[in-house]
Amino acid sequence: MSNPNESPLLLVGWDFRQTPVELRERLAFSPEKIEAAVARLRQEGLLAEAVIVSTCNRSEVYGVRGPAAVEGDPLLALTRFVSEFHGLPHPEVEGAGYRHMGADAVRHLFRVSAGLESLALGEDQILGQVREAFRFASSAGLTRTVLNRLFQKAIEAGKRVRSETGLNSRPISIPGVAIELAQKIYEDLAPRRFLILGAGETSSIFFDLLVARGARNIEVVNRTLEKAELLCQRAGKAYPWEELPSRIHAADVVVSATSATEPVITREDVRKAVSRRRGQPLFFLDLGIPRNVDPRVADLDNAFLYAVDDLQEIAERNRQERQREVIPAMEILEEELQDFLAWFGSLAVVPTITALRRKFETIREAEFDRSLEKLSHLAPADREKIRLMAQSMVRSLLRRPTEALKEEADPTRRLERAEAAQYLFDLDLDSKE
Amino acid sequence: MVTSVLLGTTALLLYLGAEGFSIAHLRTEKPSLGIVAKILLTLGFVVHFGALEIGGRITHTVPYRDLSASMSLFAWMVAGSYGILRLRHREASAGPFLIPVAILFLAASLATHPAQATAPDPRLTGVLFAFHVTLAILGYAAFTLSFVLAQLYLIQIHQIHKRKLGLLFSRLPALDVLSRMHHTSIGIGVVAMSVASTLGLIWAKQNWGTYWDPKVAVTFLLIGVYVFCLLAGRLLRWSGKRVALLSFAGYFLLLFSYTIVNLFITQEHVFR
Repeated sequence: MSNPNESPLLLVGWDFRQTPVELRERLAFSPEKIEAAVARLRQEGLLAEAVIVSTCNRSEVYGVRGPAAVEGDPLLALTRFVSEFHGLPHPEVEGAGYRHMGADAVRHLFRVSAGLESLALGEDQILGQVREAFRFASSAGLTRTVLNRLFQKAIEAGKRVRSETGLNSRPISIPGVAIELAQKIYEDLAPRRFLILGAGETSSIFFDLLVARGARNIEVVNRTLEKAELLCQRAGKAYPWEELPSRIHAADVVVSATSATEPVITREDVRKAVSRRRGQPLFFLDLGIPRNVDPRVADLDNAFLYAVDDLQEIAERNRQERQREVIPAMEILEEELQDFLAWFGSLAVVPTITALRRKFETIREAEFDRSLEKLSHLAPADREKIRLMAQSMVRSLLRRPTEALKEEADPTRRLERAEAAQYLFDLDLDSKE
Repeated sequence: MVTSVLLGTTALLLYLGAEGFSIAHLRTEKPSLGIVAKILLTLGFVVHFGALEIGGRITHTVPYRDLSASMSLFAWMVAGSYGILRLRHREASAGPFLIPVAILFLAASLATHPAQATAPDPRLTGVLFAFHVTLAILGYAAFTLSFVLAQLYLIQIHQIHKRKLGLLFSRLPALDVLSRMHHTSIGIGVVAMSVASTLGLIWAKQNWGTYWDPKVAVTFLLIGVYVFCLLAGRLLRWSGKRVALLSFAGYFLLLFSYTIVNLFITQEHVFR
């Protein structure tokens, strides 16, 4: 790993930072395409192991260099393969992406897994996507020792960053902030009653979000009842606009996203509603521009009002907080990286040779003891000569395999030889005996 | 006596450890830290019971005869009430604010521990009297927790209203959880104090020949205030904030009862 050109770990990728969306769309890998691409990569000997991570924001091919990629620039070969596979001009594809080898490739994967390379810094979804990409490759038999370990480590690193830093502790999207606020008033949102004003795009996003969170009581009030009914097809209940004042008191959370030019909920409406609620708080999320809820509602006891500007401000503050967590996150990733590199560095040669010697010595001792039982008439000096001869034989037998493991310059071949030795001699690398 | 102090000190250290881990849990939200805090608090509670039990054996009664023993019992009840709240509501983030109450009173108890155990007053013994005192102290402990929870509730309301959404906002429980915990602690306090008062009245009639003592009137007023807290939201549509403020008033009445009334007004509810 010290010389990057030697490293068998390869990565070529295209993400939202460097690649225009039109090209990203064409570089995307569906599950079928992943299978086809990896089959060809292995057939052509470019990669011995491969995992393809493909999301709406990135397409990345991780691999262990195959026999055909030993000579020349393996990353260039891999990029060329991807452009040919997708039927795209190579210069365009090459110029729009990034290429890493060895430690840099590992570091990049760890950063991806931790959400440091995501559009929404620290988001959780990418960890699941990395896990899914690995699971897919693993179940298709596309991974072996190296990528198995690499991706397990990447997932572990991603989890560590999320649990040990505040990278994803606070939401950075408007709906995320709104939900967090609502959950600070009512811990469990599922049994709560929601009243949504308006049936446009914003209302629809919130409606879906609430349904996904298990909300069972959603009411939608809209000036055009048909639109509200359309939104409530899956769940919830639609009401005509005229019933708005009488619906407020029954709600725990009111989400307002209408295009009205004047406030549609007045202070008086809320005062009456709150007084009917037997001490239960009422939370207003005013997502309308201009405001749909009279700002003076915020002064009422037991009524909480957040407008879209407030939510945006909180989201921005949370984004800055996440930014501060990047350095601690990177420290964790470096720890995990060094751990992986230490394992990878010693993966092939040292443990295999040690296990090989241990195995042969065990056999020699067992055979020597058994033979001596039959040669009890021999003098002690003769027995010692036989013991030395057996030792010498073992050393001679092991000399060539040891050299073959140590001398191989190409890491992929070295790894393959180590795996072959482990298989042929049934070596247990973890044994301490 | 030495063993009682030793166990009391050990319990104090365990409570301090529980507090440390509770704060760390609040800051980092690592579940393992919360588990350690729970274990230390439970151990502290058990060891503290050992200290009280040894003290009780020496004086052959519930430890209430001097201020030190009374504060120790109070601290133990606070820890126990918090344990009940935690079990009931599965909410640990209020721990860093509630455990210090137990720490404070246990430390004060150890600091004022008399060299010699106070001999029990032969008039103030018996099962009835022991239950009266124990339940009254449990009531005080539960009301103390409700006082802290009311503060947390008001802090959380203030943060949401003023958009001060920092670490404390994200770590404190939701308003409805705090409200429920507040109600539970008041509920425990009201039940304990009502039973304690009833037993006390029976005992007083048997021993003094009268029910009357100024402390009795203040205690019934106290129970009345807290019962009002429990019902105000539902019957009078009071907001959680107003209920929390009323519970503050209840607690100041409790402090008045525990200090001014005990020291200057009543002739019977005093440490002798």
